[in-house]
Amino acid sequence: MPVFIISRLLSAAVVLLGVSCLVFLLLHLVPGDPVEVMLGESAHAADREALRQALGLNQPLWVQLLHFLEGLLRLDLGTSLHSKRPITEMLWERIPATAELAAAALGVAVLIAFPLGVLAAVRKDSAWDYGAMGVSLLGVSMPNFWLGPLLILVFSVWLGWLPVSGRDELSSLVLPALTLGTALAAVLSRMVRASLLEVLHEDFVRTARAKGLPERVVVWHHALRNALLPVVTILGLQLGVLLGGAVVTEMVFSWPGLGELTIESIQRRDYPVVQACVLLISVTYVLVNTATDLLYAWLDPRVRLGTDK
Amino acid sequence: MPRRFGMVLLLLIGVLPLLSCGGKSAPDSLRFGLASAPVTLDPRFATDATSARINRLLYRQLVEFDAAQQPIAGLAEWMRLAPLHYRFHLLNGEGRGFHDGGRLTARDVKATYDSLLDTKTASPHRGSLEMIASIAVIDEDTVDFHLSRPDVLFPGRLVIGILPAAAIAAGHTFNQAALGSGPYAFVAWPEPGRLQLRRVGDGQRLEFLQVRDPTVRILKLQRGELDMVQNDLPPEMIRYAEARPELRVQRGRGSNFAYLGFNMDDPLVGQHAVREAIAHALDRQAIIHYVLGDAARPASALLPPEHWAGNPALPLLAYDPARARTLLAEAGYGEGKRPRIEYKTSSDAFRLRLATIIQQQLGEVGIDVELSSYDWGTFYGDIKAGRFQMFSLAWVGVKTPDIFHYALHSSQVPPIGANRGRFRSRAADELIEAAAGEEDPARQAAYYRQLQAVLLAELPYVPLWYEDQVFVARRTIAGYTPAVDGNYDGLAVVRRTAE
Repeated sequence: MPVFIISRLLSAAVVLLGVSCLVFLLLHLVPGDPVEVMLGESAHAADREALRQALGLNQPLWVQLLHFLEGLLRLDLGTSLHSKRPITEMLWERIPATAELAAAALGVAVLIAFPLGVLAAVRKDSAWDYGAMGVSLLGVSMPNFWLGPLLILVFSVWLGWLPVSGRDELSSLVLPALTLGTALAAVLSRMVRASLLEVLHEDFVRTARAKGLPERVVVWHHALRNALLPVVTILGLQLGVLLGGAVVTEMVFSWPGLGELTIESIQRRDYPVVQACVLLISVTYVLVNTATDLLYAWLDPRVRLGTDK
Repeated sequence: MPRRFGMVLLLLIGVLPLLSCGGKSAPDSLRFGLASAPVTLDPRFATDATSARINRLLYRQLVEFDAAQQPIAGLAEWMRLAPLHYRFHLLNGEGRGFHDGGRLTARDVKATYDSLLDTKTASPHRGSLEMIASIAVIDEDTVDFHLSRPDVLFPGRLVIGILPAAAIAAGHTFNQAALGSGPYAFVAWPEPGRLQLRRVGDGQRLEFLQVRDPTVRILKLQRGELDMVQNDLPPEMIRYAEARPELRVQRGRGSNFAYLGFNMDDPLVGQHAVREAIAHALDRQAIIHYVLGDAARPASALLPPEHWAGNPALPLLAYDPARARTLLAEAGYGEGKRPRIEYKTSSDAFRLRLATIIQQQLGEVGIDVELSSYDWGTFYGDIKAGRFQMFSLAWVGVKTPDIFHYALHSSQVPPIGANRGRFRSRAADELIEAAAGEEDPARQAAYYRQLQAVLLAELPYVPLWYEDQVFVARRTIAGYTPAVDGNYDGLAVVRRTAE
């Protein structure tokens, strides 16, 4: 296991370095001038040049890249061109909201997907199966920009049960989590069904049944346990997506997360903030995938044994 | 394995949501919904409309404007002692006390403008004030501005909120914690989309809440999670709000000028006949009625007629498709040779809807229009770089008529100025220069009126309309009047009445 962990962490570090360089270079290829963003259109050429020098933008690209990487090591991502605030501070402000929404959406997805997927698999080709998969199809077909306002209309405006938007109290988490979790639940339930159907035909399941174990134990204890591996992979990838900021849902529900910050910064051409957001999203993906690999090995010892050999 | 998996999941689902949640509103707070949150509370750096409007509540400025956009005394009245010398005398009364208890004096005025003019500050407003040669404090209440060149419009440029000198020297982070002398004092900015203020006069709490989606903004208003919103609403949401008994819609005349711009260097739209044909092909009244929900008035010039330098005598461009076809035919175009124009616009859904209608109206007179929509940054970058044939934009918050020099003088092609259409007209240049050098306000206004007549004839842009200011509030909100430039000054007196 230690060799497995070290190899995964090393490869994650290499990927992170590559991603950091790529993000830096891409942002420098995009048309636009940070100096113009800061000084406006009416600034004099001399003032522009002075600021360019002060920011180090007149230095060769590789020198700027080295400064950027050096800053990263100190967790210094620079300052926003517009608000003049340290970017690290701006990110820290947003991360809890995004993590909170991602976790809640994941919870909603799992709570819906597992019973639905198991039901569809166990009652294959029955009305239950068609119903469950119909619900799943509906969930995956509804775009968040439509589902969100619909949920608001029903649960906030008509029934008055939940707040419309914002992040005031725990109840304000319900609707965005439902909106975001529904599509994920739809994907997951199909994955659970497919994976479980495959496992239910395995010999060890037949053996378990032959031993006279109750069907509930056979399905939930023996079959589902072995059907979880592909589901965990999907969950890991989806968690990466969610932590990267669910832009549409955050916009609809005025949820002050990373997705909202990314879009705002792109619209304002706040290049350093865009760079930091893209970098953070990439880092999140790499870390979540690494964590998924490690979780995979923890859940299924065969994975790490294969590596240790 | 399911047990282990369950443990991980429980950790994620159970613990993370408890990490934190944003702060709650004070129960008596007035809540104002915004489409976009302010970027900075430091008036030296504010360039976005929301920041500028909120900063007007937090700080006081030397000069204000009357209904005709003539500069009038704000914190100070002024005298022009010489062409290069202005004296400002601070008035006693509202706005002389900073929210930390300090008194606003001439030293604070000097410190604010000195810091703004310092190249190290990198203020985007420095360019518009670069004629200031020096600032001298005469006494506690008097400050002199010495200019490097004559500028009769100079007082109207002193619209930056005054900051306390001591706080500037101490490196106070005004961008995050405002400290001014305006009608509202800063309380907290607990999260990016939630800004809390307190009215100095009566302690009334006010909260600005960012709600990006216009539908959600109106639903929050309907449910009582917001008390008021202003602008950035599509017409269907305004109509929806008008039909709700608990909401009240107030409209006010606006001065934000929407127009179609042309690249005068382009061989097709550079032709006067083609631009005139476009002007006559547009049924602006129909667009205003059906698309803008009557929340606009047609425009003939950049400055509205009520502006002191506006021209109320200008005729409106007539919708005349037959004339448009004739003009195109005279220019050598017809069914066999239809002109084809690329029309650039931003990716904003409402702007795109308007562009599609304009595309259809131009198509009816025989002009093929290809729509290209881009994110704001790319679109604006293309316009500044001259990579366009036709585009639509709006001038927002224009106060002083020197906008004509900045946007239309032949010397002001980007990157120097904002003459994005590459318009070069000797007649227009001469009138702009004559107006800028004229000391007498009446004669100066006459030059600007003449200039706007020239522009309407030459059509470097097709004037479209001035969009109204639309304020929607719950019925319990009283006392707010929408301002012509969309500022939030009405919040200084707004109040909640009994249900």
